Amino acid sequence: MIRHECLELLAAKMSDQLVVTSQSGQRIEWSHLSKHEGNLLVGMMGCAIGVATGLALALPHRKVIALDSDGSVLLSLFNLATLGNLRPKNLVVYVFDNGVYSGSRISYPTATAGHTDLAAVARGAGIVDSHTIRDIEEFKKKGIEALARNALAFFVCKVEESLIHREIARPNTDLAENKYTFVRYLERTEKKTIPFMGRG
Amino acid sequence: MKDELAKRLVQGLKRAGINFVTYLPETRLSQIVPLLRDDPDMELISAASEQEAVTIAAGATLGGKQAAVYMENTGIYVSSYSLLVTGKQLGVPILLVIGYLGGVPDQRNSFLYSTIGKHTIPTLEALGIEHMLLNNSDQLEVNLNDAVRAANAQRAPFALLFAGEFSV
Repeated sequence: MIRHECLELLAAKMSDQLVVTSQSGQRIEWSHLSKHEGNLLVGMMGCAIGVATGLALALPHRKVIALDSDGSVLLSLFNLATLGNLRPKNLVVYVFDNGVYSGSRISYPTATAGHTDLAAVARGAGIVDSHTIRDIEEFKKKGIEALARNALAFFVCKVEESLIHREIARPNTDLAENKYTFVRYLERTEKKTIPFMGRG
Repeated sequence: MKDELAKRLVQGLKRAGINFVTYLPETRLSQIVPLLRDDPDMELISAASEQEAVTIAAGATLGGKQAAVYMENTGIYVSSYSLLVTGKQLGVPILLVIGYLGGVPDQRNSFLYSTIGKHTIPTLEALGIEHMLLNNSDQLEVNLNDAVRAANAQRAPFALLFAGEFSV
């Protein structure tokens, strides 16, 4: 299974969901596949699930999606214990697990290339609906189906290492521009003012 | 901290607009936790690490909450990465309510805390996070309002360090 084909399937399902990505190839691929104003492309590892959790809690009626990687989740395993207790019903987490730190260019293995099973870690942390997905048909069935459910879901998608993200254009929207687009989109769709925006 | 002061602190946070708090408990200000938990206008989220307390607060702020993180000052070291990335780099206002252990005005300072305290303000300054030290409650409500307003204006975290009267 290739991450890009999973993201293509997800992109086709986007309407008013909010999508938070961590820093890895999927940030580049997702920004290429989806121009949705509800995308928040968090630019560093280990922060996407936390930010997505905060959004899910602040906006319990909106579906929030976190696109993360094995290296990023390993950097912030504490998120799993918190999610396992909070269990926000409107959050779906997809972890694209290629077993390597591909951003390092030499692709050193992560712990999931060894004995570590992130879906099992998540289950142990209290996330009941935690699964490993190994092929695209399973992704279509379990992964996409979860978007329509009202329950926390956590999917570890075992993908081959691919270098598509190095072949396509990187996003040229800087973080502040992305943030303001995202917040203005929320203000418009939620019909409310986000307090910190304030007046000039 | 005296119970009456804890009540003032929670009421002051509410009046300053705070309605979402993530936290890891500590000793100096811990009386605020049950007050926050029992307040219907507050959403209190227990985190497993100050690093995620900051990222959850950042997400909630972007989603329309006015968020604070309550932590011990050791949490500044733990969360410095997410403060820099989601707080400073992304530009998200978050009020940091910090029990300031080990600083000179900490009334329970000891060899256990002094190293932690000594490096707190230099670390905040290195991160570019503005801060205010509160040793007494004379202007507590004004200080809380000022801090939230400054965080929003700067689109950045703002740290309130509680010591002195708050650390008794």
